[in-house]
Amino acid sequence: MIKVRIPTPLRPLTKGQGEVETTAGSVVEMIETLNSSHPGIKDRLCDETGELRRFVNIYVNEEDIRFLKGKETSLKDGDEVSIVPAIAGG
Amino acid sequence: MKRKIESDVDLLVTNLVIPQHILDDMIAHARELAPHECCGLLAGTGGVVSRIYRITNIVAMEGAQNLSSFDPAKAAHLERLSPEERAEIAFVMDMQDFSTAKKDMRNNGLDLQVVYHSHPHDPARPSVTDIKIATDYEEIWPKINLPIPAYLLISLMHAAPDVRSYWIKSGQVSAAPFTVR
Repeated sequence: MIKVRIPTPLRPLTKGQGEVETTAGSVVEMIETLNSSHPGIKDRLCDETGELRRFVNIYVNEEDIRFLKGKETSLKDGDEVSIVPAIAGG
Repeated sequence: MKRKIESDVDLLVTNLVIPQHILDDMIAHARELAPHECCGLLAGTGGVVSRIYRITNIVAMEGAQNLSSFDPAKAAHLERLSPEERAEIAFVMDMQDFSTAKKDMRNNGLDLQVVYHSHPHDPARPSVTDIKIATDYEEIWPKINLPIPAYLLISLMHAAPDVRSYWIKSGQVSAAPFTVR
């Protein structure tokens, strides 16, 4: 299983859960799987072309996927994924 | 020898040290983007800032409904505004810029010290939204291998810019005094 940490603003989509478990061989697969169990989450993470939105980062075991293989970054059993929203304010 | 003493002192006090040229650069950044908010990061070691990273504020570029940092009520409010109006009251860091900055810090042995942004029309203190998002972020910093930074505000509401920094922890705001040298 892969643990995925969900940031506060996305928790309404996961019924309030801060962490969900999933199985997937890559980040892109993980996003699809999450979207099946938590509809709407993909739209929050990816734009119309499927690219990661500029105000979201995904970390696999504390490493930014933008420095790995992006959405194609592979995942294996026991990996921990963090979805990180942009630093923001007003 | 003097250098060594200074570095020992810096380890003992929590005060931030910001070089004058970096302070000037932040204020210039705020003025360049006014009336929109600017944002960026300061990095260094042991509280001593040595590097500034200007980060793109993407709030004007996206529909607010997708800005996943904001709570739904705030996002709904932002959504009613034009992109221009949004950028006057909010910032969202471009996380590609953020990643590039983070990588540069790591390559140069620097730690994140400060997250800064400007308030073109308001005082140099964290807004309710700033406090809420910073509080949500407390649990995120350790997961992305970064220390909890101080938050620095640049107000342009008066002719002379006002620059202040704060710690935001568990929703509580306290002053994080800095010295300029």
